[in-house]
Amino acid sequence: MRFLGFLTRRIVGIAAVMVGVSIITFAISHVIPADPVAAALGDHATDQQIEAFRAEYHLDRPLPEQYLTYVVGLAHGDLGRSIRTRRPVADDLFDSFPATIELSLAALLVAIVVGIPAGVWSAIFRGRLPDHLVRLLSLIGGSIPVFWLGLIVIGLFYYQLGWLPGGARIDTFVEPPPSRTGLYVIDSLLAGDLNALRSSLLHLVLPALTLGYFSTAVIARMTRSSMLEVLGQDYMRTARAKGLTERLVILRHGLRNALIPTVTILGLTFGSLLSGAVLTETIFSWPGLGRYATAAAIALDFPAVLGVTLLAAIVYPVANLVVDVAYFWLDPRTQRG
Amino acid sequence: MKSLRYASIVFAIALLVAGACGAPATPGASASVSPSAGGAASTLVIDRDTSDLISLDPAVLYEFSAVFATHNVYETLVRFEGTDLSTIKAGLATSWDIKDTGTRNDITFKLKTGQKFASGNPVTADDVVYSVQRAIKLNKSPAFLYTDIAGLKADDVKATDPTTVVMSLPKTASASAFLTILTFTIGGVVDSKEVKSKETGGDSGSGYLLDHSAGSGPFSVDHWTKNSEVLLKANPNYGGTKPSLSGVLFKHVPEPTNQQFALEKGDIDIANDLGPEQITALQGKAGVTTVSADSLLLVYVGMNAQFKPLDNVKVREALRTAVDYDGIVKNLLKGNGKKVQGIIPKGLAGSNEATPFQADVAKAKSLLQEAGQTAITLEFLVPTGQAPGGASWSDLAAKLKSDWAAIGVTVNIKQTTTADLLATYRAQKGQLVMINWGPDYPDPDANVGPFTDYKQKSIGWRNAWDDPTIAQKGRDAALITDPTKRAAAYKDITDYVLHNGPYVVLYQPSELFGLRSNVKGFNWSSIGWAELAAVTK
Repeated sequence: MRFLGFLTRRIVGIAAVMVGVSIITFAISHVIPADPVAAALGDHATDQQIEAFRAEYHLDRPLPEQYLTYVVGLAHGDLGRSIRTRRPVADDLFDSFPATIELSLAALLVAIVVGIPAGVWSAIFRGRLPDHLVRLLSLIGGSIPVFWLGLIVIGLFYYQLGWLPGGARIDTFVEPPPSRTGLYVIDSLLAGDLNALRSSLLHLVLPALTLGYFSTAVIARMTRSSMLEVLGQDYMRTARAKGLTERLVILRHGLRNALIPTVTILGLTFGSLLSGAVLTETIFSWPGLGRYATAAAIALDFPAVLGVTLLAAIVYPVANLVVDVAYFWLDPRTQRG
Repeated sequence: MKSLRYASIVFAIALLVAGACGAPATPGASASVSPSAGGAASTLVIDRDTSDLISLDPAVLYEFSAVFATHNVYETLVRFEGTDLSTIKAGLATSWDIKDTGTRNDITFKLKTGQKFASGNPVTADDVVYSVQRAIKLNKSPAFLYTDIAGLKADDVKATDPTTVVMSLPKTASASAFLTILTFTIGGVVDSKEVKSKETGGDSGSGYLLDHSAGSGPFSVDHWTKNSEVLLKANPNYGGTKPSLSGVLFKHVPEPTNQQFALEKGDIDIANDLGPEQITALQGKAGVTTVSADSLLLVYVGMNAQFKPLDNVKVREALRTAVDYDGIVKNLLKGNGKKVQGIIPKGLAGSNEATPFQADVAKAKSLLQEAGQTAITLEFLVPTGQAPGGASWSDLAAKLKSDWAAIGVTVNIKQTTTADLLATYRAQKGQLVMINWGPDYPDPDANVGPFTDYKQKSIGWRNAWDDPTIAQKGRDAALITDPTKRAAAYKDITDYVLHNGPYVVLYQPSELFGLRSNVKGFNWSSIGWAELAAVTK
């Protein structure tokens, strides 16, 4: 029952966040001194075309009425029509979201698989070369701009060395797998198409490393500091005194306890991956939500910007909720609160 | 500790391997080849920013990427050949005849026989009538070319027999301009049987033609994957010389640097959105050539005549006279543009070759003195980002500011998004506004009208320049059908605007392409397309 109460409070919270985000984004996008009509219709449009466009997108109505129309549409699952692509925003999001999910999950995987061992390694060799190395790489990862890193890795691994593809989700002349999940790697596996699987995996490497580097750095630093804290605990000494091997002491008693704060930030990390995808996708010609958002923002395509923002506003707290639920079960102390 | 050390070494290696990004692989050299693409060997791959794509329907589209692609999918009654935009040639029509009926001009088109659509259906006069009427009925972005410029109504288009179409224009519309409109994508003839069979909910088949095609051109649309690619495949029923390519793939790659890399690696055949930096980087590289082609754009500064002292023709002439046009083309554009000072770009009939202005400070100062002006301060609206030709708008603005400062004119640069700038410009509220203009159809009237006719509520209106005499001359010139007389009329108009209009025309930018050396026959037309049937690789 305590868990159900917790879950209900969080879901209500998410709903409140959604309403808040929709109002703020709607207000910002409609009060900034930029005219989406001029952006959409350009230099040549006649006054009649401009008026017709304003009417079509309800831009000739008072702001509260526009918001109400938007919210009523939302309640019916209608996110409006994109000014740039002239398609329903929901369709656009449906098309571009799987690519972003695939990239973000791959980046998250990089962050976990590289970040956690790096943090542990760094803590164990505190003050020595491996520690300095990990801390230096983490410092770089935390401060390097994503777009710059993206251009550098494309320049090095695609252009100079020719080891990996420099953009897109799959090779030009490889047929994408039949869409079931929209995630090429999963779909290739489901279709048993090894060639598509290989191609889509290779195409994932550079963007996932670029996008995941920052999160890797955060996770490595977080794991390092919590690991250092755990290493000094009494129960670690006890474990060693019991005669356990150092490997077991570190992995079973140390890492397990040190991971709890790391798990907590995974939700936040996933959210930051989504925002990082905006630049990564543009650089890597990745047909996802980030690139869609960039194009929408440049075109002052407010319905699309709102759609992306709302989607992000759902994903962010939902990812955190998933983590919190996991945390709820992982750490019995949280159940008492 | 031993096992930990072992684990550490393994992890260090893992880090290195992760850094090296896994096993070597050669991108683009995959074994499994998409059957629909017809294989890498005979498919032309073009990297381009296709984020402007909205539809591939010729009655709906009006975006650059769609114009380029669909020009190769739909045939038109008449056409321009290659890069020449001055001579109308036969397309689906073998001949056309303009007849003055007293109240109207009737144009009779005789169709070529034996032409087929990609579906195998024959091309008939009914298809032509359906296509024009459909565009008028749908009333999407390009429809104004028929309805406003040509004054055409759906009933004005008739098939008198299976190979004859008559289009009746009001006397107020220019028959010459209308023929150029018919060369554009809106003039693309669609397979009426095919499209009618795909209609849903009275949409005239626009839902289907959004990402399919029903044309008779050398290629047809295989698929359009949103945000990723458009694939055209060769049309086996094409009546002209069959393309040697089995397909053309437009890949959506917005970053010019990525396009440059992919071209150098041989992963693509043509890079469509290169800037001067990428072109410089490609110079001298093996296996790659660069192409600089004309565009029809003009980059100009509008001088709003309702703000003093811009109402004074001598002040405007002084501002034009002070500008270092050669410096802009040479240093800012790195040669990726031409010095053009008239309101009709090179490449269009009626273009005026005269370039009388070039940084004459003494003359400009004396013009200001004659106008009784010594110290002038004006606001200068400038867009953000990159101007056509590759220079940044802000660099252009700084150059102009310095040129004008030399004659005692101070401008305060206000940089804003293009959308914002246009909103101010359209409201007649800009003092000096820098922007570019491209014609809606490849006819001088598409520039002369907006630049000179205040009543069109376009560029002339935005700069509060109301000169009824020159506007009337523009309208008259549009209606002249004799090419020589028409060219003379436009020479007269452009000479007048050159010294009296409220414009500082700065330059005509070039478009830059990178090609693999084995790509032959790629000729970019300044209207915004290349005929891909003639391309080989």
